[in-house]
Amino acid sequence: MEQVKVMKGIARSKGQASGEALVSEMRFGWGYNVVTNDGGIIGAYEHPLNGQCVKGRIMVYPTVSGTTLGSVGLFYKCMVSKVGPTGIVCRNVHDIDIAGAIAGEIPAVDSLDGDPIQEIRTGDWVEIRADEVGKEATVTITRKASS
Amino acid sequence: MKLDRNQQDMLDGKHGEARRFALEKLVDFGNAVGAEEMVPLSFVLNVCPIEMKDRSHPDLATYDMGHSPLYDKFIEIKDARVADESKTICLNDPYLVQIDKYEEEGYPWNFSWGDGGYKLPKDMYDGYVRGHDALKKHGWIMSQSCNSHLTTRTPRYGEYCASSESSVAAYLNTFVGARSNRESTVNTVYAGYTGYLPKYGMLLDENRRAKVIVELTDEVKEKMTDPADWAALGAVIAEKGNNRIPAVVNMPPLLSPTAGKCLSGCVSAGMNDPMMHIIGSALPESRTLEAAFGGTVPKDVERQIVTLDDVREYYRKLDSAKSDKVDIVVFGCPHLTYHEVRQIARLVEGRKVSPNVHMWVQTDTPSYHMARDNGEAKMIEDAGGKIYHSTCMGMNPVRNWSHDLNIATNSFKYVKLGGGFGQGWHFGAVPDLIDAAVTGRFVSTRWE
Repeated sequence: MEQVKVMKGIARSKGQASGEALVSEMRFGWGYNVVTNDGGIIGAYEHPLNGQCVKGRIMVYPTVSGTTLGSVGLFYKCMVSKVGPTGIVCRNVHDIDIAGAIAGEIPAVDSLDGDPIQEIRTGDWVEIRADEVGKEATVTITRKASS
Repeated sequence: MKLDRNQQDMLDGKHGEARRFALEKLVDFGNAVGAEEMVPLSFVLNVCPIEMKDRSHPDLATYDMGHSPLYDKFIEIKDARVADESKTICLNDPYLVQIDKYEEEGYPWNFSWGDGGYKLPKDMYDGYVRGHDALKKHGWIMSQSCNSHLTTRTPRYGEYCASSESSVAAYLNTFVGARSNRESTVNTVYAGYTGYLPKYGMLLDENRRAKVIVELTDEVKEKMTDPADWAALGAVIAEKGNNRIPAVVNMPPLLSPTAGKCLSGCVSAGMNDPMMHIIGSALPESRTLEAAFGGTVPKDVERQIVTLDDVREYYRKLDSAKSDKVDIVVFGCPHLTYHEVRQIARLVEGRKVSPNVHMWVQTDTPSYHMARDNGEAKMIEDAGGKIYHSTCMGMNPVRNWSHDLNIATNSFKYVKLGGGFGQGWHFGAVPDLIDAAVTGRFVSTRWE
């Protein structure tokens, strides 16, 4: 049987999105060429998600790391090279990623009523509903029984 | 968000479409972060775009850092100008190439290794020149350096700034007391055209407080000399601070711009909040521990100690290459100060860089021309090295270069930001890096 959990948080960038979760326990940034523009593949300094693809995923990570270029990196992946995530969930969406998510037109949610890094596993199906910036947003996590 | 009359006029389009559009974006962002007002900026630092109408060009995905489409709107508007130049200085970080040396070989934008090589494609170069010229016309100062705050106009204590160059933001907060976030490269485009930014993050008193004490032992205080020492020390402080603003105790009282710059270089790679309180400094908010913590030091505050072993260990940690071979020795991330250029020139004078090694010395434009006038540039070039300005190796797609290359540097920032692309990295002090450039082998003797 599927397990469904609904978490509540705060919208930092508005939108609705769904996708398979890709969860990083390590901080993550969208800096120059960290994610390839042709395939959406991660290559960051000593990062456990290296080689993974972000395209169409909901990225879950504690908060940003690395360069301020992460803001336009996220924007570019979403709007130009079209290999971006469909949404991001963080413990704290850093201002760099807020700017990137707004420009990239994807939802970003933080301040959940539980730790997203613990509650969400890679492979879970995640739906975000974030209607208004600064207001409550929901993150619905669906886990298949076998996972 | 509360807007003053000038800001409201701008939002109403009375200052032209470019400023209206940019301010509207900043208002959106300000609402997202809960800002209550906009503040005027004295300093904006961003990155030059590649101007290209057809964004389906296959090379753009590799060369465009992502910000260029954000400039399209402003390039389309004929009368677009940055904010009032008498109040706000708008500057640029390094980008792809030293424009007048595009065709010359042996530089990071045009060089070879073993059986391979790399050259910045002509279309990208042309697009960059167009972007460069457009920004110049808009009133941006094409300083193209991570030292723009040292070579143009240093903001004053308490002024608000928007620097997307993290090391500059850290320098301004830590050593000047001007206020800057590690501003996103989205916002700095809009900040340039309006001269405003929502007051949020490091612009607010309450977000500038120290959260942890990091104390240097006397041995650390006395033995930091090489730029690499300061870079490694910055990395250790960032790690011990664990993403919190540190109050650093027992720092040497006289920090040169080079030391400050190298320390600040740790921020992009190691800290989200670009600030250290150097306790005992002249800045009112950092003069004492009490000031740094906003009044009272909490009784249960965490106190971390930095020993010389921690610094030594970071040298080892940043040295990831699998062999001692060296293909590239690169100095200048962040851009070298003139003092550093002079140190390199003196060490390499009369020696010859190995034909198998590229030695790259990257600095800001004023320091480059000073080194031309005073002879250091010739000393470096006579030895077989290259000195250049307004660009940085890291702006090229290092990821696409051969993964067999080993790159030696004294930059923590380079190792951290470029270390995931596949090449091997050596981290060392300047004399060891010069030896590596000459012999083609890296041996760290700094702590022997």
